Amino acid sequence: MREVTFLEAIRLAMWEEMERDPNVFIIGEDIGRMGGAFGVTTGFLERFGPDRVIDAPISETAIIAVAVGAAAAGKRGIAEMQFIDFISYGFDQVVNVAGTWLYRSGGKTPIPIVVRGPSGGYVGGSLYHSQQFEAWFFHTPGVKVVQPAFPDDAYGLMKAAIRDNNPVVFYEHKYLYRRIKGPIPDASEDYIVRLGEARIRRYGSDITVVTYGAMVHFALEAAQRLEKEGISLEVIDLRTIKPLDMETILESVRKTSKVLIVYEAPKTGGVGAEISARITEQAFEWLDAPIMRVAAKDAFVPFAEPLEKFVLPSVDDIVFAARELAAY
Amino acid sequence: MGVARRTTLGSTRTRRKNGQQTAIAYHERLEKSDLLEIYRRLWFARIFDEALYDAKKKGRLRRGNVYGSRGQEAIQVGTTYPLRPDDFVSPIHRDMPVFVFRGMTPEQVMCQIWGKANAPTRGKDSWSHMGDMSLGIVHSTSMLGSTIAVACGVLWAQRLDGRRDRVLVAYTGEGATATGPFHEGLNFAAVHKLPLIVVVENNQYAYSTPVELEVPTETVADRAKGYGIPGYCIDGNDVLEVYNTTCAALEHARAGNGPVLIECVTYRLQGHADHDETRARQYRPVEEIELWEKRDPLPRYRQYLLKTGLFSEDELPEPPPDIVERIQKAIEYAISSPDPEPHTALEDIYDESAGVSR
Repeated sequence: MREVTFLEAIRLAMWEEMERDPNVFIIGEDIGRMGGAFGVTTGFLERFGPDRVIDAPISETAIIAVAVGAAAAGKRGIAEMQFIDFISYGFDQVVNVAGTWLYRSGGKTPIPIVVRGPSGGYVGGSLYHSQQFEAWFFHTPGVKVVQPAFPDDAYGLMKAAIRDNNPVVFYEHKYLYRRIKGPIPDASEDYIVRLGEARIRRYGSDITVVTYGAMVHFALEAAQRLEKEGISLEVIDLRTIKPLDMETILESVRKTSKVLIVYEAPKTGGVGAEISARITEQAFEWLDAPIMRVAAKDAFVPFAEPLEKFVLPSVDDIVFAARELAAY
Repeated sequence: MGVARRTTLGSTRTRRKNGQQTAIAYHERLEKSDLLEIYRRLWFARIFDEALYDAKKKGRLRRGNVYGSRGQEAIQVGTTYPLRPDDFVSPIHRDMPVFVFRGMTPEQVMCQIWGKANAPTRGKDSWSHMGDMSLGIVHSTSMLGSTIAVACGVLWAQRLDGRRDRVLVAYTGEGATATGPFHEGLNFAAVHKLPLIVVVENNQYAYSTPVELEVPTETVADRAKGYGIPGYCIDGNDVLEVYNTTCAALEHARAGNGPVLIECVTYRLQGHADHDETRARQYRPVEEIELWEKRDPLPRYRQYLLKTGLFSEDELPEPPPDIVERIQKAIEYAISSPDPEPHTALEDIYDESAGVSR
């Protein structure tokens, strides 16, 4: 076991995969000489050389396209978005090129790529350095979406994402990068967290909280506070958003009969809407209360602290919603 | 004023002072059998196009559009003939014959057009959105500029494998040179000196929009200056000029000197697709269409062959009957091929064959 930050867990996963498989390479802005804006690729250029660690021009389309084209030719590309917000530039590459390639090749040409980068708010990043638009890719066939909350999951999921044969969009919450520390297995264990499997981070009996990313930590904090009030939360960390682990969710719902879905993205049309719909379709008779959602307000993530706080969900929001549900 | 402008259609000379020209007549090294094969390929392309228009008209092809390439055959043939078997191409919707020139069977291509179960995409996608990486045919999408950027990745994989001499010929239209991925792709390729040859088929119209509303420079080849790479502006209806320029570009790219842009000036004699035939004679002057009919690359090449004295009239039939038959056979094969089973629509969305243990 190694005690590392969330960021270091991701760095080590990529490092070890590049050591293991010469087909893996990484491309992005400032990832070589500088080691990445957040230092996730520190030391990579020196170890793996410029052919496998590509300092790209400011060209998100080309960055993703190089990973995609190389994947079609048998490689495994990791494309770093300096901030995941910038993936909008490369949207066509993810959705129309990578996402469809297997389909339009009659199943012959898989596109094993990982498009990854820092996401999320709570750091004063403002409009273009704070977004959580995972719902874009949740809505996209052919693409998988991952967002871990703890170092061990970040480590195991990154390895799984690199080895997966499909395009994976990997959200790394920048708020967690250095704030969250935890143990990860040693390299020799070849630890993998399979994509598509949720994990219950806290067991409880009254309310099922379905969440992912930084909100897992908020939910756990809320659960601690509510415990004193005699309200018991079960916190499910989805880890992989697509494919969605409905089995784990439904099992918990059948136990608690109340559901709170927490996500950091704008509420409307978010991942939580789909989860809510599926629970209603598949476990309606088990519910004792309306499914509730805590999410960001339908706005951008603003810069000034009072504005950002107002828009993004808080631990308080989760506590209030859970109380309401508990009393229902 | 370049020939890429509608106003200068009468001249094929003025553009030459802009784009580069290759001085080497590579075609003089071709054997008689090569010259004949080029002739036959031009006809293959022409008949392919005519047969599909005919099938659509007669209701034998009931779904999808036919994107004609009448008049653009010299580009398809001239750019592919000098390639090595291990080179790559990424054809677009006006390059259907390129799929066959690079190793697909006419049957596969027709099954694709008819959306059959045994098509390369298993009926999932239409027309040119197919490929076969084992043949070096890179799948493109409807977003034409996009593939220029993807091509960089295919070539990067070759670099990782120590195969820097494999060239990729990426086709695109003059309209798509206005897209972001065209720029990002060429910029990246030029920075890293990737062996990418971008063939811009300047047929003067992007659907209905004339080239002057797509491209601000005198020629499309002028765009090459922005990347510090050679940009040729050539007569796209002269198969030997296309061949010679491609040979020069291949030498440049294989030697590690980076990408080359070749603008092949041509003309879309038909509509954007078969549904566009009436309008295409409204949004374009009829005299212009008639002028370009006279520049048909097929009779031009035939005249050249006769002038060499190597061929008799009889050796150059118009069209070669066996090619007509071959294409018809492929069409019949496609029509009699099975339709895909409905449930297969949900196959090949994800590949779980490798899992996480790979």
